[in-house]
Amino acid sequence: MKNHFKAILLIIFLSFFQISKSYSIEDASVSGVSYDQIYDPLEPINRAVLNFNFFIDDIAIRPIVKTYKFIAPEPVEKGVSNFFSNLKEPIRTVSFLFQGEFYKSFNSIGRFTINTFTSLGTFDLASRVGMEKNETDFGITLAKGGVSSGPYIVIPIIGPSNLRDFGGDVVEYFVDPISNNVANREYLAIGSGLNERVEIDEQLDKVREASSDRYEMIKSIYYQNRNAQLEEEYIQNLPVPKIYIE
Amino acid sequence: MKYLTILVSFIFSFSILQASEVSEWFEKESNQFLEIMNNNEGTESENYEKYKSFVNKNFAIKSIAYGLIGENIIKKSKDHELSLYLEVFTDYLIKTIYKLANSNSSSTIKLKDVDIKDDIYIIRSEISFKKSSANLYWKVINTGSSYKIIDVIVENTSYFVTKKSEFNKILRKNRGSLESLIIQIRKI
Repeated sequence: MKNHFKAILLIIFLSFFQISKSYSIEDASVSGVSYDQIYDPLEPINRAVLNFNFFIDDIAIRPIVKTYKFIAPEPVEKGVSNFFSNLKEPIRTVSFLFQGEFYKSFNSIGRFTINTFTSLGTFDLASRVGMEKNETDFGITLAKGGVSSGPYIVIPIIGPSNLRDFGGDVVEYFVDPISNNVANREYLAIGSGLNERVEIDEQLDKVREASSDRYEMIKSIYYQNRNAQLEEEYIQNLPVPKIYIE
Repeated sequence: MKYLTILVSFIFSFSILQASEVSEWFEKESNQFLEIMNNNEGTESENYEKYKSFVNKNFAIKSIAYGLIGENIIKKSKDHELSLYLEVFTDYLIKTIYKLANSNSSSTIKLKDVDIKDDIYIIRSEISFKKSSANLYWKVINTGSSYKIIDVIVENTSYFVTKKSEFNKILRKNRGSLESLIIQIRKI
C-alpha cells in the first residue's frame, strides 16, 4: 500500500513537471515531429551513461546474450520471449483501460487467460485464434492523456527513455498485478530485461557497426518506435526528402 | 452527376493502374535483389559491383543525399563540395546495403500492399529470414522514366530519418561544414 502511494505521488509530480513546461521543438505524440531536434538538455550526461551502458553490455550482458542465443534452440528462445510478454498482458489490460481502449483491454486479458492456461504463456495460442497482441504501456497512456515527453534520458543499464516514459515505467513497476504478487520480483525484472536485450541483439550489433554517432542513432530509433505506437498513420507521416532530378 | 461518376471512376482506375505498375516494378527489382543477396558464388568485388548497379538503378540517391543535409547547407556549399559529398554518400549507401545483405542470407520478400500519399508510393512488404521476419516499407517515387526508392523503413525505423538525425548532429557540431561531414562518412 505504501509503495502504491509513493508511485501515485511520483506520477503526480512528473505530470506536473511535464505539463508545466512547454516544449516547442518536440512533442512525440503529434505528427510532423522533427526527429533531429529532439529535446535533449541532458546530452552530456546521457552520452556518458550510454558509454557506461555499452561498457557493461560489452563485458557482461552481451556475452551472456550471445551464449544464450547460441545454445538455446529457436523454439526455446521464442517460448521464453512469449512467457515474458504474456506476463505483461495484465498491465497492458490496465493501460488500455485508462486509454479508453476497452476492446483492446478485453483482448489483452483474454490473451493472458488463454495463453496462461494452455502453456503458462510460452506459446501464443491466442494469436492463432485471432486475438493479436497489442503493445502498450503507461508511457503511452500518459502521452495519450496529453503529457508531453519531456527531456530525453538514458537510464543506467536500462537504456533510452524520456521523462514521461520513465515515469510510466515507475508506475508500472508498482502497480503491475503480476510482479506485485511474485515473491522475488527482482529476478523477474532481470529476466524480463535480459529477454528484451536478446530481442534487440541484432539491431544493437548493427548500431555498433553502421553508425557515425550511435548516441544520435539510438535516440532517433527510440523516438521513431514510440511515435509508431502513438500515431495512426505513422509510416505515411514520416518525413521524406525533397525530390531532386536524378 | 453522370460526369462526376465518370471522373471518379477514371481517377480510381488510374490509381489502380499506377499501383499495379509499381507492384510489378517492385516484384521484379526485389527478386533481382534477392538473387544477388542469395548468390554467394562470385568474388567479393563482383558481388559488390552487383549491389552498386542495383543501388544506382533503384535509389533516388541525389534526393536522399541532399535531403539529409537540408536546403541551407546545399545553398552555401560549392558545386565541387556537393558533387564530392554525393560521391561519398553513394559509396556509403552501397556499403550499407552490401553489409546488411551479407549479414542476412536465404531471405524472401513478400509484397503485402501498396498505398499512395502525395505522389509517393508506400509499398508494404515482409522480409523473412531463417529465424525471423520483419515488416519492410519502401517509399518510392515515379520519376517519369522509372521508379526510385527514397526511403526504406524496417519495422518502424526509417533509414532517412535516422541518418538525417546523425548527419545533422555532425553538421551542427562542425558549424555546417560539409567537408567535416564527408570526412565522418568516410570514417564509417
